[in-house]
Amino acid sequence: MNFYTVLEYIGMFLVFVGALFLFLGALGIFRLPDVYNRLQAGTKATTLGAFGAIIGIGLMRPEWLPKAILIAVFILMTNPISSHALARASYRRGIKLWDRSVVDRYGPYLREKEEKEGKR
Amino acid sequence: MILTIAVAILILMMMVFAVYSVETKDLLYAVVGTMAVSLIVSILFYVLQAPDVAMAEAAIGAGISTAVFVIAIKKTERYEHD
Amino acid sequence: MIKKSIALILIAILFVAIFFTLANDLPFGDNRTTTGVSDKYIYHGVNDTGASNLVTAIVVNYRGFDTLGEVTVLFVAATGVGAVLYNMGRPAGKKRKKTEASLIVRTGSRILFPMMLLFGAYIFVHGHLTPGGGFQGGAVIATAFLFKYVSDTRYHIDHNKFTATESVVGMTFALVGIMGLLLTGYFLFNFLPNGSPGELLSAGIIPIIYVAIGIKVGAELTGILDNMMEVEQ
Repeated sequence: MNFYTVLEYIGMFLVFVGALFLFLGALGIFRLPDVYNRLQAGTKATTLGAFGAIIGIGLMRPEWLPKAILIAVFILMTNPISSHALARASYRRGIKLWDRSVVDRYGPYLREKEEKEGKR
Repeated sequence: MILTIAVAILILMMMVFAVYSVETKDLLYAVVGTMAVSLIVSILFYVLQAPDVAMAEAAIGAGISTAVFVIAIKKTERYEHD
Repeated sequence: MIKKSIALILIAILFVAIFFTLANDLPFGDNRTTTGVSDKYIYHGVNDTGASNLVTAIVVNYRGFDTLGEVTVLFVAATGVGAVLYNMGRPAGKKRKKTEASLIVRTGSRILFPMMLLFGAYIFVHGHLTPGGGFQGGAVIATAFLFKYVSDTRYHIDHNKFTATESVVGMTFALVGIMGLLLTGYFLFNFLPNGSPGELLSAGIIPIIYVAIGIKVGAELTGILDNMMEVEQ
């Protein structure tokens, strides 16, 4: 059992974990009640899932590892930014939170800001 | 065998999205439908070992043309009238 | 109603006929490229052109004149968009107040914009080695500029510089073709040495032409996006 075989098994495990998290993300988008919860599932779970799959493939084929790490960094930067922009846009568009949501920090902040700008 | 089934599912999804984007009255949903169609087409091109065309389809069909449509809808109207 | 159902039935019959004929005669993904002209391209393409990506070899070398036409079509489309939108209510002084993008998006765009430009440039510079080429790389570059537009409401490109770049690059394409005509007697003929396939500086005129196409397509698509963003509602 040499080094590359061990790496390949670790890679397979990571791909499996990634696929599991991708599945959980899809399930979350299907099951959760409103836009913001769905974005939560669709961003966090899929980022981790894609990470697992890409790094796992990089470990299974070590010559692809640098490219895999580059792709992973790119996903790590783009995915949260896009989901943040989506959530902000949908809040400003007036899409309501789920009626059993507990806390809403962005609404009071937005109203305060509007009042300040109105006074000026 | 598994590849054939996956491709069949993709083609069925593509047909559903195409019909939906023709039939719906909300033009923004129609744009999302066309984007999904071109995304699936690019996956099919990749399966058929044409990565050049797949890249062109993903960059132009799913990226630029969607943006152009969304900007046009934003400047005009969102709903289709009879 | 009757019209619609007749149309649906006809479409269904046509679909079944075409689908089953095709499914019987041509299985999905079947290899049928061992006859005719494709045979010549596959077995002699790398030796003839020096490009390891056969698609690029066909698009730029064997069928270079068609590609010149394609680029012209895109140029005409960009010009048409500009001409149609030229008189449609430019913002005269007072602008509708837009929502500024948040800090996260602005910072992200500052970091990601050069990376996206670099990726587009990588795609069209390596067009003769890996999948991709001028059109794909140009589209990626236009996406980078679109991201810049989305993240910053005050961002504008300099139209004069973009038009100048586009013209210079388009003239480069035509000049390479004319040099081929002068040196070898055929328009867009490969007059540079082929080099060894797989290296960056190989395949004769293909890298020059693909860099030109990439910059040109990127500038044109960015111009279309800019024209559409600047029109008032």
